Amino acid sequence: MESQLEQIRAEALAEIERASDETALELTRVKFLGRAGSISLASEGMKTLSKDDKPRIGKLLNEVRQTVTGALDARKAALADGRDTAALSEIDVTLPGTRVPVGSLHPITRLLDRAIQIFRRMGFVLADGPDIETEFHCFDALNTPPDHPARNEQDTFYLPDGRLLRSHTSTIQIRTMESQPPPIRIIGPGAAYRRDEADATHLAQFNQMEGLYVDEQVTVADLKGTCEFFFRELLGNDARVRFRPHFFPFTEPSFEIDIKATSLGTGEKWLELAGCGMVDPAVFESINRKRGDEAYDPERVSGFAFGFGLDRLAMIMSGVTDIRLFTENDVRFLEQFR
Amino acid sequence: MRVSLKWLKEFVALPATVAELTELLTRAGVEVEGVEERGVNIDKVVVAQIVESNQHPNADRLSVCKVDDGGGEPRQIVCGANNYRIGDKVPLAQPGAELPGNFKIKVGKLRGVESQGMLCSSKELGLGEGADGLLILPQSARVGAPLGELFPSDTILDLEITPNRADLLSYRGIAREVAALIDKDFTVPEIKSSAEMASSSTIRIEAPEQAPFYSVRKIHGVQVSSSPDWLRDKLASSGIRTINNVVDITNFVMLEMGQPLHAFDADRLHDAIRVRTATNGEEFLALDGRTYKLDSGDLVIADASRAIAIAGVMGGEETGVTQTTTNVILESAYFHPTGIRRTARRLGLISNSSYRFERGVDPAGVLAASQRAVDLINELADGTADPETQTGGSVPDLVRAITLRKGRSTQVLGTEVPGEFIAKTLKGFGLTTAGDHVWHVPSFRQDLRREIDLIEEVTRVFGIENIPPRETSRYFSESQTDREHDRQMQIRRSLVAHGFYEARSLSLIEATPDYMLPGAMQVRNPLASDQVLLRPTLVRGVLAAVAHNARAGLKAQRIFELGRCFLAGEREEQTKLALAMTGPLAEKSWRGENAREADFFDLKGVLASLGWKDLETRPMENPALALCAEILFKNVRIGAMGLLWPARARELDVAASVVIAEIGLPPADAEEKKFCGISKYPVVTRDIAMLAPKNCTHAELTAVLQNANEPLLADVELFDVFSDPSGEKVPREMKALAYSLTYRSAVRTLTADEVNEAHTRLKERLKAALHVSFRE
Repeated sequence: MESQLEQIRAEALAEIERASDETALELTRVKFLGRAGSISLASEGMKTLSKDDKPRIGKLLNEVRQTVTGALDARKAALADGRDTAALSEIDVTLPGTRVPVGSLHPITRLLDRAIQIFRRMGFVLADGPDIETEFHCFDALNTPPDHPARNEQDTFYLPDGRLLRSHTSTIQIRTMESQPPPIRIIGPGAAYRRDEADATHLAQFNQMEGLYVDEQVTVADLKGTCEFFFRELLGNDARVRFRPHFFPFTEPSFEIDIKATSLGTGEKWLELAGCGMVDPAVFESINRKRGDEAYDPERVSGFAFGFGLDRLAMIMSGVTDIRLFTENDVRFLEQFR
Repeated sequence: MRVSLKWLKEFVALPATVAELTELLTRAGVEVEGVEERGVNIDKVVVAQIVESNQHPNADRLSVCKVDDGGGEPRQIVCGANNYRIGDKVPLAQPGAELPGNFKIKVGKLRGVESQGMLCSSKELGLGEGADGLLILPQSARVGAPLGELFPSDTILDLEITPNRADLLSYRGIAREVAALIDKDFTVPEIKSSAEMASSSTIRIEAPEQAPFYSVRKIHGVQVSSSPDWLRDKLASSGIRTINNVVDITNFVMLEMGQPLHAFDADRLHDAIRVRTATNGEEFLALDGRTYKLDSGDLVIADASRAIAIAGVMGGEETGVTQTTTNVILESAYFHPTGIRRTARRLGLISNSSYRFERGVDPAGVLAASQRAVDLINELADGTADPETQTGGSVPDLVRAITLRKGRSTQVLGTEVPGEFIAKTLKGFGLTTAGDHVWHVPSFRQDLRREIDLIEEVTRVFGIENIPPRETSRYFSESQTDREHDRQMQIRRSLVAHGFYEARSLSLIEATPDYMLPGAMQVRNPLASDQVLLRPTLVRGVLAAVAHNARAGLKAQRIFELGRCFLAGEREEQTKLALAMTGPLAEKSWRGENAREADFFDLKGVLASLGWKDLETRPMENPALALCAEILFKNVRIGAMGLLWPARARELDVAASVVIAEIGLPPADAEEKKFCGISKYPVVTRDIAMLAPKNCTHAELTAVLQNANEPLLADVELFDVFSDPSGEKVPREMKALAYSLTYRSAVRTLTADEVNEAHTRLKERLKAALHVSFRE
């Protein structure tokens, strides 16, 4: 009996090894483990054994059954693997992936959001104001004389009711100071409008970002620290920032900010990118008159303001030479800013 | 303002190089917009005379010249030009000369013939384009003389003078500025003669507000001719055309001292001078040959019969100084800036004079300038002036006192500037003090009015680069605008992930009837006919983008814009979102699946994905659209979507369907999201296949199911809609729909029986409410 079992085991293992496909393997399984299979018959034969032989032979029988079952499973898995491998072996993994439609943010939006993130890290919050403004918010409150050329119908768009389309986002400073006492620390992005004939560097509408910080003891040093940090964050650590005295009605002293940076690829040329200065006391005084209080007492608080054009900055940063590309919405242009 | 450095040097010692001067001015806020080199300053370029010219033996177009350059032996030069004659004087670049563009001249052979230098054109010398061929010099030129004698070299700076710095519109002013910046002295032109001032009855000022002070000086026996070279050169270097010696002198003094002057032909004036406002419609023929129509806001200088000048802007053609003039009346005045600015802008006539008056001239310099011009007219035109200057009005006293408190500049700058530095700087700019922190500002600095203005002056000279930056921050709460920005960026990014490109269009659009919605606003003074209306909708811009890209050959398009729209009313400016889709949903691919064309429901799906739970659509009539639905948020209409009529799409050069949507952004969802658990129990699904009348809508069907109050019903999903125009598979007046209903309990596993019961009840309800029949 024992030798018979050993022989069954050897035969089974050999036949399993020989099975070349899953059908042949199944026939082998039936032959040995099926109801009429030789291992099944051998366990039938157990009944005839003596009490002494039973445990020994039973144990052996179990071993044989387990060995054969294990070999069958292993062979089955190997055959399945082989089949899967064959099926996949011809696939060219370098074929392109299935195309998923992709879009992109507008380059101005990208820059705007990036600028906002930088200022937020410095503790600035966003402020807003309408595009349609009063002369007070756009000019009077910003210390612009009544006969200043910017107020001209040649330069600024007016509505029939006497209001105008803001010619700069500095109106947001005024709106914010009107409604909130100091300290304030804001940035205000938005559209501005000027009656400029469209050409490669001008559009009647463009995008600006305005900043204002009013508090006790704000100085030119704070203005410098803020603007230098911003431009270095935006343009890289090697960006050099030059403040050049200038004139704006609403700041005193006033500066223009010139930048040199490797990332701009414009060589050794200083690029004029922003205007800034210390809020002119006259601006605070007109805010106080409008508020009817002394919240912005120029003897007690001071502040700095800055503003820059997003379109021009985006043009320089990305090498766009015609501003009109920003409003044409040509996908061949937009997709380059993915 | 164009500034000749050669001229400027007469008043102040300049830094060694142009670059240093440029840097100095720029740092002080006087931007140098351009640097122009004039004249010839090249070693070994001399005047030569052509003695002989023969055809080159080996080249048709060349000739071989012999020229005399004063060196004794004539030089042999091969030359390609043919615009000269024997005996002409021309520039010769001798061996060793270096012409602009690093062009070094050497002895060499041209087609086998030796050339000992080069004869030059004006272009080759950097003297501008000029005519073709050699630069022919005047016969008076001395042979062998360096060319620099004929074309003296000079550097011209183009300075951008900010509108507050009227005092920098003269050489004297710029010299003062440079001297203050480098802490040196500067000189002023010497005025030789003097005159008595006589308040005169021959001058009547009728508008003293606009013309506080007016003076004339009569000069007799003037010889009008052309100006000497030095005067012509100086004017030319500053960009002013020469006219005649008298007019040139007035312009010269204006450049030198900043005070515009005007010279009248005295014999063409009748009687007393009146300074009056113009009458409405008064016509005036100005020196530029054009006739201007004046109004009562314009100030004129007039004699008894007519206007002879637009005050401070331009003189008249009829009374100008000409070759025949012998007696001159020289005007020097102070006009108020506002009136001059208004007139110059209104007439579109910006002259050198109006440019200075509208920024503010120095009233204290009015008479000095007149005197300086009298000196020069006497010297260059033999004129003899009346001993008296006739005047009207009085010189306004614009000197003011400003206190600069100790320590105030430190408070503004954040760094301490030493007191001595402050004092030295302000003195350099011409301010004076008694030492008690009170500063007297001279009348040429009308821009210095307050303490802060003095601090600015100090800052300019101290140098902002010497103020160390300080990094400060503060804690501030997020604003409503911050939250709104973040939400809008999230919407944008979601759409980008769905394959949409973001468009940004102009807010000003053409006022076509389509967009003239009630409440639409127009600008009063548009610049272009396509920028008249403040957009009430983003649709126009988005469709323009679709058309633009279609014309560029793009078929599959997904475009959106998120931006401000304008409509009169309570919410005049509102942020809207517009979307457009057209063409195949995917590009052609090796996968072989042909993508569907985007349609109404694809766009609806995109909108649904943006996460507003309470968004609903309802059918809507809109003749502009082939298919239209209004979009509601919490039962309030916030926008619409639809399919363009194919004819409209073809106008945009789009062959495929174009679907569009626009909504005003629903209010932001401020509530924090709450977790509501995940059911442990399995769901059971049951399908319903039915035939429904064609006019029965999905909205009606789902409303019946949802209003049935079956607590176990968790979800209803439509998975098939079919109709058959032939009527074979589905009767023509019906459509087949198939829904999958999901049942679930949060607390137990459902039994088949209870699901079946609920499902049956729902079917009964549908049948009763909507005349549907079931296909089992």
